[in-house]
Order: sequence, then C-alpha cells, then structure tokens
Amino acid sequence: MTLSHVKKSYGKHVALRGVELMIPSGSCYGLVGPNGAGKSTLLKILASVIQDYEGKVDLNGKGDFKDIMGYVPQEICLEQTFSAFNNLSFFGRIYGLKGKRLKRRVQEVLEEVGLADRSQDKVKDFSGGMKRRLNIGCALMHRPSLIIMDEPTVGIDPQSRKYIFQMIHRLQEQGCTIIYATHYMEEVEQICDNVAFIDQGKMIEEGAVDDLLQKYAVPSVFVKASKPLPESMGMDTFGEIVDYNGGLLVKTDNPLLVMKSISTFYQSNHTEVERLELVQPKLEDVFFSLTGSTLRDVNPLAKTGYTSKKEVI
Amino acid sequence: MTAMFKFEMKKNLQDRGLLFWMIILPIAFIVLAVSVFASGEDGTMKQQMILSIVPGYVVTFVFFIMISMVTAFLKDRDLGMTARIASTPLSPQLYLLGKWIPYMFIVWIQIIILIAFGKVVYDLPIVQPLFVFFLSIALSFMATGFGLVLSLFVKTENMGIALTQVIALGGAMLGGLWMPLDLLPDIIQKIAHLLPQYYAHQALQDALNGTLTYKAFFQGLFTILAYGCAGFILGIIRYPHFLKQARG
Repeated sequence: MTLSHVKKSYGKHVALRGVELMIPSGSCYGLVGPNGAGKSTLLKILASVIQDYEGKVDLNGKGDFKDIMGYVPQEICLEQTFSAFNNLSFFGRIYGLKGKRLKRRVQEVLEEVGLADRSQDKVKDFSGGMKRRLNIGCALMHRPSLIIMDEPTVGIDPQSRKYIFQMIHRLQEQGCTIIYATHYMEEVEQICDNVAFIDQGKMIEEGAVDDLLQKYAVPSVFVKASKPLPESMGMDTFGEIVDYNGGLLVKTDNPLLVMKSISTFYQSNHTEVERLELVQPKLEDVFFSLTGSTLRDVNPLAKTGYTSKKEVI
Repeated sequence: MTAMFKFEMKKNLQDRGLLFWMIILPIAFIVLAVSVFASGEDGTMKQQMILSIVPGYVVTFVFFIMISMVTAFLKDRDLGMTARIASTPLSPQLYLLGKWIPYMFIVWIQIIILIAFGKVVYDLPIVQPLFVFFLSIALSFMATGFGLVLSLFVKTENMGIALTQVIALGGAMLGGLWMPLDLLPDIIQKIAHLLPQYYAHQALQDALNGTLTYKAFFQGLFTILAYGCAGFILGIIRYPHFLKQARG
C-alpha cells in the first residue's frame, strides 16, 4: 500500500500535511502519535471512509480495494440488541455471503474471536472485551487481506488484549497486512514489524521497530546500592544520571562497559550493590524523543492565562 | 441493500417502543375518541363519526415513525455505523434506501392494522379497498419522506422528537383530523388546504365510505405523493452533508 502526498483539512484546521507511506505487504504496521496527530483521519482515508482528500492512496495500483479490506473502527459499531451471530451475519451479507456459506463463515469467525459459545447472546450483555472482539470479527467476515484497526484494545482487560494480539499474529501468519493505530507503545513493540510516528499531521519517522529503537532510544543501566553515595563521588562520568525507583538510572551507549565500571566503582567504595540491571530501550522513549512530551490537546492560550483570542488582542 | 433492509427490519420489529407509538397508542386514541364522541349517537351518526375518527387517527399516527427514523439515523451517525459501512462495498445510496424502505413497510403495516382494527371492532366500511391500498402506500411514502428529511437535518434526537410532535399533532389539529373542518375557524380551514394531512384524511375517509371519485382519488394520491417527493428530494440534497458529518 502506498500513500503519496495525502493531505486533509477540516475548514482551517489542517489534519494531514502531505503524508507519505509505504506499507509492506504481509506486515503489521503500527501507526502511533499523540491525540489529534491525525492517526484516525489517516486510517479513515485508508479505509475509504473519508474520500475528499488530496493525494493518492493505492493498493498494488488499485484505488478501490474495499472488497479486500476490513476496517475495525475505534467505536464499537454493533447492534446491541442483536446477537453476535446476527451482527456477523449482517456484515457477511454486505459482502455478498448467503445461505450455508454465510452460516459457516459466521461460525468460523465466532471461533476465531472466541465467542462460539455466546453466539446467540445479545451484544448488550457482553463485556467490553467481548464487544471489542466481535467488533474485530465483523471486519473479518469476508476474509480481507488488508485489515485496518483503530485502537482496537481501548478499555479492555489484559486477557482480551492478549487474545486480540494472538488473533493478529494468526492473521499475519495467514498473509494479512495489518495497519494498527494505537497510543500504547508496548502494543506496537509486541505486534508490529514496522511503525510510523505521526505528529501534527506529518509523518515524522518510520521504519522497522528494532531499527528505530537502535537509532533513537538510549539503553540504560539501573543500579541500586545498599547506601547512597555522596554526590561528589563522580558517578556522572558514566553517562546521564536520573533518580529512578529508589536507585539511579544511567543512560549510556555502552551499557555492558558501564555495568562493569559501576560494579568496580561501588566495590572500590565499599558499597554493596543490591541490583544492577540493563534496562532495554522502549519505543516510548523514541516517541518522546521525536514528539516531545508537551500535551497536544490543551488550549495553547491556556499557557498565556487568556481564555479567548479576543482577550489576547 | 437486502442486508441493510433485513437488518433494519429486524431491529424495528424488536423495538417495543415502536410497537407502542405505532399501534398501541393510536388504538387507545381511537377507542377513547369513539367512546367519547360516538357513544350515545344513533347508527348512522355513529358510523359517520367512526368514518372520520379511524382515518383521522391513522393519518395522525403515521407521522410518529419519524421519531424512530431520527433515532436510527442519528445513532448510526454518532456511533460510527454510517462511517463503518462507508468502508464496505455497500454504496451510500443503497445504504439510504436500505434504511428507509423498512420504515415505509412498517408504516404501511401500521395503516393496515389500524384500518383492520376499525373494521373488526367498529364495523368500519371498506368500500373501495383498491383506493385504500394505493392511498396507504402513498401515505407511507409521505410520512417516511418527511422522516427522512427530518433525520438528515436535525442535530439531536430531542430536536427530532420535538419537530415530530409539531408536524404530527400540529398537522392533525390544523388539518381537521380530530374534528370536522367546518367547525373550525375560516383561517384554519384555509391552512388545512395547504397540509398533506387534510388531503390524506379526506381521500382515505371517502375511499372507506365508497364516495371517492377517480378525480378525487388521483388528486389526493398525487398531492400526498408530491409532499412525500418534496421530503425525499430535500433528504437527498441534505444526504451528502449527513455523510460528511458521520464520516468525520
């Protein structure tokens, strides 16, 4: 899937400013960014929900790929008074499934999403996790080869989340391409091969998860000693130091060498080391280093003490 | 479209609120009106009153479908179903038709049930059934055409419910559905001739009584259809805006 110069505005507000992406076939592609970054708008464009945008989106040269694409929106779009079976049947019918083929496929999807034993129960009686799984199931009825998921694990328990991850792994093994938007960095680390960071309508970085971690995130060494050393002892020669969890976190490009040096350092100062650990870099560190840590959804005027533009004038 | 039609139909058939607004409430009103106005009257007078009351309440209550239509369209818009369906091969036109036609069908069933109730309980005459049949279809088209335009224009459900009351009850009062028009002031009589409720009531009443001429039938039918078409066309014009709102 290729996106070229994709731009979208809502009146004066520019949501996307010329996004370029190349999503490899068969990959699980993470899309991350702060609130209001433009992720959902981008996903809606990919899913053909929004059609008035500038630029080009194509899948293997085709502009219309609705028949091979399944979209899982962030909202739970199910009929609450219907059973799981009837909700799935509805989406199956939209894709032209009928009769025995439809029933068989509904059963398969119910098993896939772990709801086979609740097929006749009404959705309104389901837990949040069950509704989320069924919401995904509706997008799988026509065996799509491209699945677009917009924060499919919002507000669910760890068991359901784990189940959804297993489903995504199975779908990927079957050859599906998955585009996965989320706020949760650990989810991207767990399930995505590639990731794109979006902020303020622009794609600011993309690549393989491991490559980005190597490029941007600095590993750290965590050390906790039996007694704190005086500040004048010169620990800062090992790297940038921050207080963390009752100990010290030393950011360094060469963690193994630093671990050895710290151990020697404490021994020479007759201090017992209780814990000495290598802290692996996280995607969250990459995210913050690329986007900064200021909130995106606050009124910029709030910082000035004014409540309206009129007052500023 | 069949998928959408079946889905909406099933949803509506499960809706007890709809059953109340569309069947139980009008039956209660018919029974109440007949017992208040027609009890104690002699045979011919009573029959005339029943001939006015039953089609009057039929025409009043067909407009209550607008509440269900507003609720359904706004729910789809706000909960993301319209957006989700836009990602499927179902075209926006077929989505609209698939949502609209079940309501037309429900209103038609409502009219049949209320007239059948009048026949069974009050021996309501149905002298020109073919005319009644075509008028009932036109009436279903008109009520749901109004419902469509309301659903696509209003921003909130409450606004839709309030406007439904204005259209249904205001139209009934001014259109002479609840009392003979000649008892109302001149100005109201003039206003009545601008309202679709008046034409629907007159035509339906005459068809049941067997006094509807071909000319009056076509005049009533085309007037009702014209109002329905106006609603439908306004709805079609508004539909792209609704879709844009729904898709975000």
